[in-house]
Amino acid sequence: MKILMVTPYPPLRDGIASYAVQTVVALRAEGHDVTVLSPGPSAAHQHLNLVGPRGAAALAKRVRGYDKVIIQFHPDIFYPVDASSAERAATSAGLAVAFRLADYVEVRLHEIDYRNGYGAGPAAIAARLMWSQVDKIVVHTEGERNDFIAAFKVKPENIELTDHGGDFQRYTTANRATARRTLRVPADAMVFLSIGFIQPHKGFDRAVRAFARVADGDARLYVVGSVRVDEPGFLAYMAELAELISQTPGAELRQGYVSDELFDRWIVAADCVVLPYRAIWSSSVIERARLYDTSVIVTDVGGLKAQAERGSDVTVVADDEELAGALASRIAGSSANAAVPHHLAVPNKEWPVAGDNLRLRLQAEIVARATVRRGRPAGAVDAPALVAGRVKAASDARGVLARVAPVPMFAMPSTAGRGPRSYAKKVVRKLTDWEMREIAHQMNLQKIGTDKMVGALTEQVAALQAQVLELTAHHKEEGRDG
Amino acid sequence: MRADLDRRGTLAFVPARFGKEVVGGAEIVMKQMALGLRDRGWDVEILTTCALDHHYWENVFEAGTSQEDGLTVRRFPVVNEPIVERGVLEARIIAGEKVTLAEQQRWINSGMRVPELYHYILDNRYSYRGMLFTPYPFWVTFACSQIAPERSVLWTCLHDEPYARLDLFQPMFTGSAGLFFQTDPEYNLATEICSNLAPNAIVGCGVEIPEVYDPHGFRARYNIDGPFLLYAGRREGAKGWEQMLDWYAAAYDHAPFDLKLVTMGSGDVNPPESIKDLVIDLGFLPDHERDNAFAAAAAYVQPSKYEAFSRTIMEAWLAGTPVIANAGSEVVAWHCERSDAGLVYRDAAEFEQCLRFIADAPESAAALAAPGRGYVLDHYTWDTVLDGIEDSLDSWLPAPTPETAPSHEVKAADSLTVGGS
Repeated sequence: MKILMVTPYPPLRDGIASYAVQTVVALRAEGHDVTVLSPGPSAAHQHLNLVGPRGAAALAKRVRGYDKVIIQFHPDIFYPVDASSAERAATSAGLAVAFRLADYVEVRLHEIDYRNGYGAGPAAIAARLMWSQVDKIVVHTEGERNDFIAAFKVKPENIELTDHGGDFQRYTTANRATARRTLRVPADAMVFLSIGFIQPHKGFDRAVRAFARVADGDARLYVVGSVRVDEPGFLAYMAELAELISQTPGAELRQGYVSDELFDRWIVAADCVVLPYRAIWSSSVIERARLYDTSVIVTDVGGLKAQAERGSDVTVVADDEELAGALASRIAGSSANAAVPHHLAVPNKEWPVAGDNLRLRLQAEIVARATVRRGRPAGAVDAPALVAGRVKAASDARGVLARVAPVPMFAMPSTAGRGPRSYAKKVVRKLTDWEMREIAHQMNLQKIGTDKMVGALTEQVAALQAQVLELTAHHKEEGRDG
Repeated sequence: MRADLDRRGTLAFVPARFGKEVVGGAEIVMKQMALGLRDRGWDVEILTTCALDHHYWENVFEAGTSQEDGLTVRRFPVVNEPIVERGVLEARIIAGEKVTLAEQQRWINSGMRVPELYHYILDNRYSYRGMLFTPYPFWVTFACSQIAPERSVLWTCLHDEPYARLDLFQPMFTGSAGLFFQTDPEYNLATEICSNLAPNAIVGCGVEIPEVYDPHGFRARYNIDGPFLLYAGRREGAKGWEQMLDWYAAAYDHAPFDLKLVTMGSGDVNPPESIKDLVIDLGFLPDHERDNAFAAAAAYVQPSKYEAFSRTIMEAWLAGTPVIANAGSEVVAWHCERSDAGLVYRDAAEFEQCLRFIADAPESAAALAAPGRGYVLDHYTWDTVLDGIEDSLDSWLPAPTPETAPSHEVKAADSLTVGGS
């Protein structure tokens, strides 16, 4: 079969490129004649700027003559960054034509904004038209499948579920000892790894914060990767992350180019891969970890939960608390050299038994468990009962924020009237609906962030107050003893 | 040569250019190494491009499979489109500016590319026990060595140049099956730019030992009278050719001396007007005449700062000819120091004095050259070098067994049609 694959491609370092080349290998091994078309110069046979309506038109000229066109779909390949509704509509319409001209189109979905399928605006109509021209849409989880059908109204039978890592191959033969030696990672440490392009939605900062709360002396967290595109927002995030890591004992940033081989070597070197994504559709990293039987902790976003169910040792966490708990569980499991538990609770260790200094040991254990549970730098002491009044006051502060209602998905009121005025209102409503929803969404995200920040600050203040009180009590006691 | 080595499996040598007419140290070494290993019982193939020239990368040779010097050679067409950003990024890299990873990736992909070779290796990577790539900053090496890094060995040809410090190349230096270095300074540079090198070995570089020299016949055939300074190789800015010409002209203009400048190799000569009659370009010479030129010269000049080994100074010493060299090349300075058979210069004034020494004191110059031949024979015969290479290959590249090839193995190399997708 003569196949055209449209995709980012090596040696460009990119998750989709890495995925695509493995599919190309598999297809060629089956005897297919595969031509690769990439959005920029690469090892692909052809390259073409595919962005916008012009890109779609150029693609339309290329698709004829192939029995099958496979598209590794990411919006950035086809849609201009910050595209207007009109640009989105024109691009989708252009792609609809390109897909229509092809004998058979298969789209492998790596990311998409489902919101673009809803509504009656031209962009949504064009998007649904475009997807209706695709013969097969490949997704990796049931959740993605359901969301896609709901958003773009495609026929369910046109959507196929595949194993994300089905075509994946290993890029390293190194064992863990070799991998650690060559990466300058301590041979005996408990090693956590957050790897990939460094950008806010990957949430590597969450891994660092969780690690800071629970790490002991033998644990390490390596954040490995680079910024994918040199956009100010991404660079600022990288700088913040680097600062955070520099202040976190045991955490280390390994910033730089990561080849497929190096990527896999890190996976082999790690005891556990930590992927605290804020948003993602599905994750190639989980699949690469699966190749090497490396355990994984992921947040419950996108289709990761469904993807995790296929993994032998993948822990899904709901929030930062559970993330810290999961890290602590791994650390506890490693210290006992036992199998890592799958549950999300704090370390399930035995309490100290009778013997010398039982109270001290118990007290230490209580502090340790409380540290994990509440979230504080290791070694910090907390005694909320002593400062109940102040904690209450702080809680009140959080309560004020909690009473601030989410911003509604406001839009211009609908109108049932007739005539030019009502028509104009309808048009404006349709044109602004998407933007207004987005603004509301962003404001609510801001509110969630503020809630969390105030909560964290409140707890930190309480902890400091507790420390002051304890130190004061300690001094008084010493004064009495002395 | 070790008899107990397991030489099963095919080795692919992957130079960006290959052929009798190709000028370039690394490419010549690849060929000789391939022939040497074949003679020792290895199954060796050449995977390369259709290009002859590394500036324009035009497809000169025909794509497809051929037999050359008893080796199977598979050639693949180069794609080389003019992309403006390449020049801009290149200038920034050479100027030592900070270039982001995204920009580095655009830089490496905006020059010559060989998609068909890439896909051939992608399909057939398990057909080869190992693949040897050189030099490190070429697209072919960068893109293709990472397809199966556990089978990829780099003949690095590392120079202290801005490219060497790009993050882009770090995974090759850390994740390949092995790295061959030719000298201690090259290894030292590698450890300076990369703290966790892949398995590596300093093996030197083999040099052919001519059986006879005919300096007098050479002078007669090329009508060259009087003593001359020789330069062999690519005549281009990166090799220090233009600066050396300027310094030569300045010295001659200051006070004439009896020392012509003879050159062979590729690239434009472009001598300054004042020394135009003193510069003789012999173009591309056959191997035996190249050897004769070395023997006939009063001295050999190595003006390049960017040398990973410098085979030409070895060829000069073998022929009993002294070397004067740019001190900016740590490798060449290291050779001169170790051999006691060469002088180095740091600027125009020192270069002028080197020229005057060669012109004014031929006997002393001959005495300077005397230990050079022994130095080469002691360290850089192909037998010695190939022994080291074989030991390393045996250690880095496991011999093929049924278990080493994955079950989804692709087509055998011999069944492929080269040049199609």
